[in-house]
Amino acid sequence: MALLALTPFLSLAIFGLLATPAGFLRFRNSKLGLAPFVCILGLAVALVSTVWLGFTSSSPVSFGGLQIDLFTLFFSGVLLIVAIFVTVASLQYMRDDPNKGPFFGLLLLSTLGMIVLAASMDLILLYVGWELMSIPTYALTAFRKNDPNSNEAAMKFFVLSALSSALIVYAISLVFGITGSTALTAIASTLSTAGPDVRPFGVLAIVLFIVGFGVKMAVVPFHMWIPDAFEGAPVTIGAFLAAGAKMAAFAAAFRVFIVGISAFNVDFYSTFAIVAVVTMTVGNVAALMQKSFTRLLAYSSIAQAGYILMALATPFTTTNVPLGLAGGLFHVLNYAILKTAAFVAAAAIATKLSVRDLDSFNGLSRRMPQTSLSIAVIFLGLAGVPPLNGFFSKVMLFTGAIYSPYSWGSYLALAALINSGFSMSYYGWVIKRMYFDEPADQSRIPEPRIYMAVLWAATILIFAIGLYPDPWIRLAQSAAAALVGARGP
Amino acid sequence: MIGLLSIAIFLPAVLAAPTYLLGRKNAKVAKILGVGTTAIVFAISILILFVFQYGQAGFQLSESAPWAGSFGLNYKVGIDGISLPLLMIATFLSLLSAAGSSDQITFKHAEYYALFLIFETGIIGVFTSLNLILFYLFWEIVLIPMFFFIGIWGGPRRRYASLKFLIFTYSGSAVMLFGFLALYAWTGSFDYDVLVVKVPILDPKLQLVAAITTFVGFAVKLPIFPLHTWLPDAHVEAPAPVSVLLAGLLLKMGGYGLIRYNLLLFPKAVHVLWPYFTTIGLITMIYGASVALVAKDIKRMIALTSVNHMGYVLLGAFTATVAGVSGAVFQMFSHGLAVGMLFLMSGYIHDHTGTRNIDELKGLRGKMPQTVTLLFLASMAAMAVPGFANFISEYLVIQGALSVSYLFAIAIVAPALTVGYFLWMLRRVAMTPGVGPKNELRLHSILILVAFLVPLLIFGVYPPPILGSVITPTVEKWVGTIVALGAR
Repeated sequence: MALLALTPFLSLAIFGLLATPAGFLRFRNSKLGLAPFVCILGLAVALVSTVWLGFTSSSPVSFGGLQIDLFTLFFSGVLLIVAIFVTVASLQYMRDDPNKGPFFGLLLLSTLGMIVLAASMDLILLYVGWELMSIPTYALTAFRKNDPNSNEAAMKFFVLSALSSALIVYAISLVFGITGSTALTAIASTLSTAGPDVRPFGVLAIVLFIVGFGVKMAVVPFHMWIPDAFEGAPVTIGAFLAAGAKMAAFAAAFRVFIVGISAFNVDFYSTFAIVAVVTMTVGNVAALMQKSFTRLLAYSSIAQAGYILMALATPFTTTNVPLGLAGGLFHVLNYAILKTAAFVAAAAIATKLSVRDLDSFNGLSRRMPQTSLSIAVIFLGLAGVPPLNGFFSKVMLFTGAIYSPYSWGSYLALAALINSGFSMSYYGWVIKRMYFDEPADQSRIPEPRIYMAVLWAATILIFAIGLYPDPWIRLAQSAAAALVGARGP
Repeated sequence: MIGLLSIAIFLPAVLAAPTYLLGRKNAKVAKILGVGTTAIVFAISILILFVFQYGQAGFQLSESAPWAGSFGLNYKVGIDGISLPLLMIATFLSLLSAAGSSDQITFKHAEYYALFLIFETGIIGVFTSLNLILFYLFWEIVLIPMFFFIGIWGGPRRRYASLKFLIFTYSGSAVMLFGFLALYAWTGSFDYDVLVVKVPILDPKLQLVAAITTFVGFAVKLPIFPLHTWLPDAHVEAPAPVSVLLAGLLLKMGGYGLIRYNLLLFPKAVHVLWPYFTTIGLITMIYGASVALVAKDIKRMIALTSVNHMGYVLLGAFTATVAGVSGAVFQMFSHGLAVGMLFLMSGYIHDHTGTRNIDELKGLRGKMPQTVTLLFLASMAAMAVPGFANFISEYLVIQGALSVSYLFAIAIVAPALTVGYFLWMLRRVAMTPGVGPKNELRLHSILILVAFLVPLLIFGVYPPPILGSVITPTVEKWVGTIVALGAR
């Protein structure tokens, strides 16, 4: 029966391998082919089994380094929702592309890599998950192979990403050298008694982990590839990178730092606090200066990464799961929904207007009313306006920082709140363009139904979570408790 | 069990959806639903007046329900003598402003009235909520409709004004939220009834941090002198009925927050901060009045009277005396009515004459004799002529201030300047020989304007029903408590 816990993984693996050949098959004359449907089926089976496992499984199930606990299930739920939104939106976005089979197959395999990352309790498995997630995304970013922007984005992304993988491998080897193990629990118990002689190597490993994960998490100063990659990649893949790959990197960082390294007597919390403040500030200030919508989204996602990093800056004890950590996980969920939806809206605009310049947003509410409304809701959610979902997770994160035993906790919270207030200037600016400015061209633009379905689903989720956050907060709290509990007694 | 307060809070938001959906096809339906809902909510607030027990100090009509208990969020509402007057002007001004919108809003009626109702939910919620996060939620709900009101239905510089308004107030709110979250971190609760017990005994340093951060949020809304620059832009660009909401209600959120949270929660911080806050209040009063003197646009002048008059609220509140705080609460009530009337009138005058420039309005008496009479009365109210409620509130504030220190005698400059700029405006607009053909307001517009005057005159001549039996008992109890805890 324990094998049932592997259903999400197996479903993604099997359907992922089937999707590519299925791309060659098609119903009668339909342009779509079978691949997208195989992809959706695989994701649906995975999501349903994840939710089912979340309700039924009480204790964590382990298969070697692969641990299926509430933390794993929480992240795989979030990542699968992102993947489903991306897949559905891609039905429209990739409609005229002949290579649907590989596209959807890679999407599924990359998703598999992400949830393996969230489940891994062993550094080797973690690395396998990392590469399984990353390699398909290089190909997906370069999917428009005749488009030089797409290629440039993929190249930049690939080089930095490969560098980050190398750094992670180096960090893993250092940790193995110190502790003689790659299992996180064993690492934790060895590190807790580690003597001063291994300390420099431990610190080096921590730095390498921060940089390695930081590249994917879009942490300043390792964020430079993000705007280019998001702009050059197919827009729906932008969503996949911004909401999927980035959150998976956070999952890995949570696992490594909280389960493994927190036992080591090194203050990495302060480091994360500084990095968090720098990241959110740079993201918000740079977002204000952007002229293209996808670049604005990219910088706003960098700023949001800064908020989530605050969760790693909250120290914890096994008896008391910190509010900041639960808030961080809750923000992962909210951010993933908001950001995916924002990119889907960008895809809707990009397919119809074929420009991503912010000037084309002037008076958009008259030309694309549904898209504009959802962008307004999403942006207010990202800015943290109640009663939308982003508000509550931010409140939890910021309160968690004030709770912090460190004296800088309150300053961190204040910096984050000022950032959050400042971010309204560019979110509000886009809303102002859409609703108050006059469009150069008054003509009404048809809004593709598939995009609208995703946007409405996301908008309903944004309101539903915001108006009744209680079950979601509890979910995030139990996921955080599972993560802390994974350290063992 | 859903109580009267919850109905008053959520009815507008619930009816916003049908107003938008049904009103999209037919503007008349939108108007009827919008004005009708505000009328029903006003009727509910009248009902609340009958249920309210006068002469008592505690919270009444309280309701409480868990909302997100896993994180201290409870739905808690209730009113006392400080919130009741504000609740009443909220429902009353919403009704009058919605009624006054019918001929001043000329397009997108469905969107306008739907947003209007959401705004009303927010503003009633702010004055009644007793949980910090609930308060913050309503506080922000007010912001979004206002941003769209100014940006879509506003004047020529609406885009600039709306964004400036949004950024100023949202940034202020973010700093304020820090204070709220810190209070939660230190006391473990967002509920007002718990905070009121736990916060005053906190370390004075912590109180000071929370007091200063929350002050920033309230001060931007109030507004105080260096943070007021969004106000003239927003008020001038907003359509007249929205200016009524802005000056009449939105500014009162700041004043209410200052009294409810800043003054009553942090007695030890008040002990340190009151000289600074009252001085800022004094500067705001005099500065607002001086700038209003040189305003050329009648609407801008009225906007700046708000800066002038809200300074009294800050001054009165932080004297931490019964007279001062009662005067501050009463000032919010009476100023809301007076300035609401002036703004609506400025909109009517602009519609009928095509200008708001004071010099170009010369000879208005010939065109709009009845309106000019009303302008006289409204100006007298704003000048705080005895007989109007404003006189009593300003008198109380200054009395409270003088009882603390004779230095506050300087506050007398402000009413003198106020009389100065109003009389000068009236001299140019109303006391010049009438010219031009008669172009008077329609009867229903006149009636709306007269409706503002009724409570001003009633409570100006006979204040006990509001002052003695509603405001003062509550203020006496609170001021007694905070003074005992070391506010003075």
